[in-house]
Amino acid sequence: MTTFLLIPGLISDGHVWTATRAALEAGGQRPALADVTTQGDIPEMARDLLAAHEGPLVPVGHSMGGRVAMEMARIAPDRIAGLALLNTGIHAARPGEAEKREAMIALSAREGMEALAERWLPGMMAEGRAPDPEVLSGLQAMVRRMTPEIHARQMRALLARPDAAATIGDFAGPMLLVVGRQDQWSPIAQHEEIAALCPQAELRIIEEAGHFAPVEQPRATAGVIADWAAGLPQAATGKEPAMSQGDRIPDTPLFDRRRANAGYELNKMAMGLSTPEGRAAFLADEGAYLDRFVLSPEQRAAVLARDWAEMVRLGGNLFYILKISAVDPTPIREIGAAQAGMELQEFLDTRLGKVTNG
Amino acid sequence: MAELIGGLGTSHVPSIAMAIDKGLRESEEWKPFFDGYTPAQEWIAEKKPDIAVVIFNDHGNSFFLDRVPTLALGVADEYRPADEGWGPRPIPTFEGASEFAWHLADRMVEGHFDPMLCRELDVDHGMQVPMELVFGRPEAWPVKVVPILVNTIQYPIPTPQRMWELGELLRQAIESYPTDEKVVVLGTGGLSHQLQGARAGFINPEADREWVAKIGADPARYRAMTREEYIEEFGSEGAELIMWLVMRGCMDAEVKTLHKHYFAPASMTGAGMVLLENAG
Repeated sequence: MTTFLLIPGLISDGHVWTATRAALEAGGQRPALADVTTQGDIPEMARDLLAAHEGPLVPVGHSMGGRVAMEMARIAPDRIAGLALLNTGIHAARPGEAEKREAMIALSAREGMEALAERWLPGMMAEGRAPDPEVLSGLQAMVRRMTPEIHARQMRALLARPDAAATIGDFAGPMLLVVGRQDQWSPIAQHEEIAALCPQAELRIIEEAGHFAPVEQPRATAGVIADWAAGLPQAATGKEPAMSQGDRIPDTPLFDRRRANAGYELNKMAMGLSTPEGRAAFLADEGAYLDRFVLSPEQRAAVLARDWAEMVRLGGNLFYILKISAVDPTPIREIGAAQAGMELQEFLDTRLGKVTNG
Repeated sequence: MAELIGGLGTSHVPSIAMAIDKGLRESEEWKPFFDGYTPAQEWIAEKKPDIAVVIFNDHGNSFFLDRVPTLALGVADEYRPADEGWGPRPIPTFEGASEFAWHLADRMVEGHFDPMLCRELDVDHGMQVPMELVFGRPEAWPVKVVPILVNTIQYPIPTPQRMWELGELLRQAIESYPTDEKVVVLGTGGLSHQLQGARAGFINPEADREWVAKIGADPARYRAMTREEYIEEFGSEGAELIMWLVMRGCMDAEVKTLHKHYFAPASMTGAGMVLLENAG
């Protein structure tokens, strides 16, 4: 089964993924949390995660985590069943970026993580909107759980980041791009750049959210990711498909929600034949007995014609409609042959002919 | 404490009941099928269990589609044969092991299985046929019964993994029951068959033979398979085989397969049985 690997960004941890993780689990997927606090550069983070998490992966990366996710897809495209990239980008380091990052590294080293949180977080929140105090205090606590050493290591990893713009276009698998409408740090345009290189990508914008969309709008963001995950082909997720709808085995109509709904009255009519009174009424006046139930004209005609294939097509389940054969005797093998569209002898020979005893 | 003396897996095909009713036990068509059950009948006559836990599915006889319990547990004092359209069959009423059933209800709910509890329940061929196959046609059944009914008709049906876990829990319930009664567990259904759709009449004797050969010694693959894989390999109604996993899950990892038997087709179904004892 595929693992949805949740990769936090700079000085972040599982707090960013609380809602996403729950939504994926609720959808029957298998999420896991990535640790990118110990490595010295982004390729090393990517290699570590590929080694630590077995089997097919869908990296779900936030900000710097998105960079790691893209590097994983570059190194091991065969293991990456899909990519979800949130609040991220593919551009190389820009002029002046190194100086700004070094100044921040100096700040956390000198004044500690609390001071860094105070300086850094406001610019990460949705622009033009007072941050929700709970959201802000949750993020501040997260930053305090980190250390100046982690901060410095990750900042320098970001400065030396690989050129994702040169390689991301090679990834042909399913891709989801998520960005907050008011993300000042990695704006919507950066995600449009990725979408331009990867035409298969779905771009989703989270309203009232900045750079920490998964924390600022946890439900909306987690919902977008879980919905995308649910829509991935089974081959990508390895998840057993829901079995309340849809046929995947040829000529095998499973009695799912659709058929149970369509055939409810038809099956109820047949269930009525499990009492002597019902059988007597059916035998005395079949039409009047059928009138007790809300059958469609097609269902009614199929019953009157003893058209077993048609009854099944219209939502009849054999365990119920078989009761018709108790009133109007029909051997089960004839009912089988009729559904297979064969004469009885051909049916016996080709389907049941392999007599093996002992 | 009560003791698990063994596990049986067996088909519950209704045409078996019809063959018995019509006196076809010794007929050319049916004799090889019924003869294959003789060792199990001898084993059970010798072991004399007090309680039989029978895992089966209702076939639209006790439950209609207005309410479909994924799992149901009988806690009644007695169970009458259901009218499946031909009138109730002339077999004895089953006496319920209601004390043990309530104990099992407690253990199941504490173990996070939440069955519907049934105080008044007719039982169809899913339970009748296995009981007749191992006990014949006595004047009165020599054991009390606990029916466990699993929805295998309306999707979503439960997963094979869940069935196995139910078996593990059943084992704990048996071994925490403060009597010295002997319990046998019957997992029923299958083997390969399909009654609906253009693939009707599908049977898979090779897969069936492998099933009876390996369910005792090497069940890991069957435990891991998806529901869809069961349907592909054993047919839409052959997915009933997941109920054998309850029986297998309640046995030790190491078991002795005392007897196995396979016959196809019984009507439109691959039919057979295994008899398992714990190896230790």
